[in-house]
Amino acid sequence: MSKRNDFVFKGLHIVAWIIFVGLCIEAGGLTVNFVFSLYKPEFVQNLYQKLDLSQMYALSKWAFFSMYSFILVISILKAYLFYVVIMLIFKLDLSKPFNTYVADQITKISYYTLDIGIISYIARQTSKNLLHRGFEIDHLNQFWADSQAYILMAAVIYVIATIFSRGVEIQNENDLTV
Amino acid sequence: MPIIVNLDVMMAKRKMSLNDLSEKVDLTLSNLSILKTGKAKAIRFTTLEAICNALDCQPGDLLEYKENEKKTTNR
Repeated sequence: MSKRNDFVFKGLHIVAWIIFVGLCIEAGGLTVNFVFSLYKPEFVQNLYQKLDLSQMYALSKWAFFSMYSFILVISILKAYLFYVVIMLIFKLDLSKPFNTYVADQITKISYYTLDIGIISYIARQTSKNLLHRGFEIDHLNQFWADSQAYILMAAVIYVIATIFSRGVEIQNENDLTV
Repeated sequence: MPIIVNLDVMMAKRKMSLNDLSEKVDLTLSNLSILKTGKAKAIRFTTLEAICNALDCQPGDLLEYKENEKKTTNR
């Protein structure tokens, strides 16, 4: 492996860690907010990152909890996705990358990415539906703005995972050729 | 797999140990072990040639084709 590749790989590892920590903080903050909103409804007007859902809470608790559940699930899935990415980068040996662990992890990443994309898409459609019923949802769009990008990314990663699985088979065959 | 490797039989006939064969054919012990235990997926012609040369035998003495039991019972 060239020195440049090694450098880029280490850089990616650091970036993945930074993103993972950021997503964990976000998921943690949202979870704490969610627990607080269950017991102290007055907390709803000052949620994570100055998110104010008091109007939605006052109009319909069902709408508030369903939308907040979407936000929570998406943020937790994103954090877990980057945990899988970090574990993959941590255990990946670039001198011999074709093994079943790496292939499984890449497949896992594609599934989680697809999950995030689909849940984001459903959430976006639900929020559009709520807009017609007089709910303010403009500040929620930031949580599922990139749903289609995630679905497309999942497709690309799935193709890579399939190629990788075939690579593992070829590697195993090559190892067992005397 | 229906292809059976009779390397151990030929080695016993020639009274040759795995270490001796490994030295003669220039193959690692682990690779020879893979071949001997039938775990190998493929064998190179060069390897086959070297083993035949070292054991003074024909490829047919080392490899044997045996039909699957399932296939035999279906007939």
